[in-house]
Amino acid sequence: MRSFISNFKERLRLPRLFFRQPSRAEQIHGGPPLEFERPIPPVPWRGMTVIVVVVVVAATAAWELYCRSIGYGPTLNDNEDLWTLRRRSVTPESLVIVGDSRGWYDVDLDEFQKGLGKRPIQLAMGGGCGYPVLADLAKDESFHGTIICSVTPRLFFAPPGTPPMERGEKAVKRFHNQTPAQRASQYLAFPLEEHVAFLKQEELTLDNLLKRLPTPNRPGALVPPRLPPYFGTLDRERRARMIEECARPGSELAKRIQQIWIPLFTPPPPPTYIPKEQFMTKIGEAIGGRFHDITTAVEKIRSRGGKIVFVRFPHSGGLKELEDRETPRAKTWDPLLKMTGAPGIYYSDFPELAGFNCPEWSHLSAGDSVEFSKRLVPHLRAALKM
Amino acid sequence: MLFNSLTFVVFFVVVVTLYWSIASWTLRKNLLVVAGYIFYGAWNPPFAALLFSTTAMDFWLGRQIGKAKDRHAKRRWLVASVCMNLSMLGFFKYGNFLLQNFQWLLARIGIIYQPPHLDILLPVGISFYTFHSLSYTLDIYRGVLQPTKSLRDFILAVSFFPQLVAGPIVRAGDFLPQLVRPQPLRTGQFLWGVAMMTLGLFEKIVLADTLLSGSADRVFGYVGPLVALDSWAGVIAFAGQIFFDFAGYSTCAIGAALTLGFHLKDNFRFPYAAIGFSDFWRRWHISLSTFLRDYLYIPLGGNQVRPFRAALNLVIVMFLGGLWHGAAWTFVVWGLLHGSYLVIERVCRILFEDKAWANNLATRVLAGAATYAAVCIAWVYFRAADFTIASRMLGGMFGQHPHGDAILSTREMLQVALVTVGMISVHWSLRDSNIETAVTRLPRWTVTAAWALMACAIILTQGTSNAFIYFQF
Repeated sequence: MRSFISNFKERLRLPRLFFRQPSRAEQIHGGPPLEFERPIPPVPWRGMTVIVVVVVVAATAAWELYCRSIGYGPTLNDNEDLWTLRRRSVTPESLVIVGDSRGWYDVDLDEFQKGLGKRPIQLAMGGGCGYPVLADLAKDESFHGTIICSVTPRLFFAPPGTPPMERGEKAVKRFHNQTPAQRASQYLAFPLEEHVAFLKQEELTLDNLLKRLPTPNRPGALVPPRLPPYFGTLDRERRARMIEECARPGSELAKRIQQIWIPLFTPPPPPTYIPKEQFMTKIGEAIGGRFHDITTAVEKIRSRGGKIVFVRFPHSGGLKELEDRETPRAKTWDPLLKMTGAPGIYYSDFPELAGFNCPEWSHLSAGDSVEFSKRLVPHLRAALKM
Repeated sequence: MLFNSLTFVVFFVVVVTLYWSIASWTLRKNLLVVAGYIFYGAWNPPFAALLFSTTAMDFWLGRQIGKAKDRHAKRRWLVASVCMNLSMLGFFKYGNFLLQNFQWLLARIGIIYQPPHLDILLPVGISFYTFHSLSYTLDIYRGVLQPTKSLRDFILAVSFFPQLVAGPIVRAGDFLPQLVRPQPLRTGQFLWGVAMMTLGLFEKIVLADTLLSGSADRVFGYVGPLVALDSWAGVIAFAGQIFFDFAGYSTCAIGAALTLGFHLKDNFRFPYAAIGFSDFWRRWHISLSTFLRDYLYIPLGGNQVRPFRAALNLVIVMFLGGLWHGAAWTFVVWGLLHGSYLVIERVCRILFEDKAWANNLATRVLAGAATYAAVCIAWVYFRAADFTIASRMLGGMFGQHPHGDAILSTREMLQVALVTVGMISVHWSLRDSNIETAVTRLPRWTVTAAWALMACAIILTQGTSNAFIYFQF
């Protein structure tokens, strides 16, 4: 008897019967020349499968326990599908929060609901630019609700093609193109992510673990700065809360994140392939274009009876110094309000909003976010003439 | 739905459980038809209707070809089938491309025409299922297949979910015979299918998406000039990414089919160990290359014609093969490059085949390395979004930008280097063998450990549901 392998090879190499009239036996259904059977390696499959299952279950359990032991807890991943689920719940009169992670961490939905009479829909996103979302809501002819837009200039005025813009654009694109399968996957992910700590797409994946390896780079290599580690939890409404480990004053985690914000918020050096002046002109044009686009979007929303208010959320320490230097209020916030004619709330203009400290320089702790939201509500009511 | 998604895991478990719980072969086949349409409709439900209409038309046309008395009548029905399939493909896939090129042509003769942009959504996998379906009428015309009497069987042959959207391109003649008799449940076959799915997902999620795609995306997405090291690293990363992405899908498809008792042929056979380009195309996307060979190259005369015509045939086939991959001239250039490679190889064979040195080990290794390098150069056109990017990449690769930027981290370059060396080593060590032989010959503990390691790596990577590259084709 021939071995299955020689049989397999022979079958694979059978010449096809071009233009020859096949015999009756060779015709459908089934004749020897057209039939094909894959060989099955003759190994003890049952035993091997049992060992594989045991090893995989044990390794997964060990990894889960380890992740929990070093401070990770179960929470939802923020991705386009979760965002899309929230975006789908926007009705024509909804109260919507858009923008970056400060509008995400620093806002308490319960306090806003109490103070503004409506439960807000959280569409702000970490590291994201709010403009694509704003533009999409402006394009939606039925929308005439209220928008609270968080403004962190480095993100809100990020030029096209940069990660913050791409983040926002990807989310909007997913909202318009989400397939039933993607939606189903998100619903299936909920119970898993709510119970398993190591399911952190931006932190504990193989890719992100490899990024932590301390490998020195070539001098002058334009390697993107690292992103901050896990410091918050998220629920199905996309309410983000800072974890206690990060909120604790002087914690190692908060200090580590502070040092990550600095390179992230520092403008990258101009590229080498175009002259610096030309690059600066291009950037200037892009920012000018963004002001114009935001103004157009705001006008569209307001023309339909919608309302919008821009909010600058607290930030502190070295990051505040950096932002004040690189994106000063006079060049970003003031022209934004002037051009759009929309109301704005700059936290430092109001003593009751100015006294908050951000543990990792960029976001409020979960407790402070509740208090801050409570104090922000009257200002929002006034700005929105509610 | 994607193989690397939670929805698929649930879908697959439900389908497999139901399938093996049902005793009736007819009901099992019905279940697979329903499963195929759910699998496909999970992307965009209305496109399932398009899939059905293509299938039903080809079923009917196949019968007409079978019933036709003379060659001319058969040909007329075949032409109808080819036109129907290709016009569907043309409209959805090439509509905007054709309009843009028409506009460009008019502009050359001074006519300014602004065509409307057709907002056409490309049905996922249309290139694959069109070819699945078309193979049926072509084979009936060629006389190697008789029309099936069962519409349900034909629908299942086209919409069998493992191979529906990204191949392998399974010909009706290879699949329909498997629908005659019920396939028994064999534990070994089922578990080997699961192991192959693990391998396929490992290739896609871990090797392609996690270890290679980042470098390839950054290099091809960078707008400035790059130094040679980064340019080559990006291209080599893409060479690995596209292999693991597509071969991973094919391996998953073969594994999923095995768990249901069906047998699909290999779509890849260690292509980066190819010595020469004809060898490469016998190893890369085999179901497409054999499709083009049988239904295009041989009818054009194949190599049974004068050398110049045979060379032209090769170029025509590769031109169309390139266009099949996407509606862009960059894909055409990629195809033409491969066509040229094949012609050059043929000339070299004529000139040097008899020489003693032509078959020694050193020559074979050199030829293998040259094949890999040339394939990588062609990938530049495949991956680049336009010719500006492609020429900038090639410029970087061949040292035109010594003062260009370096953008890859040491870690990224190490990942690309390690995965590529590993991939090429495996390809060379198995080039005259197959995965089944390797599994049989390796110590049991090695196979078990590799399987467990791959499963753990997949779980650790958490799969971000990146679409497979070949879905867009």
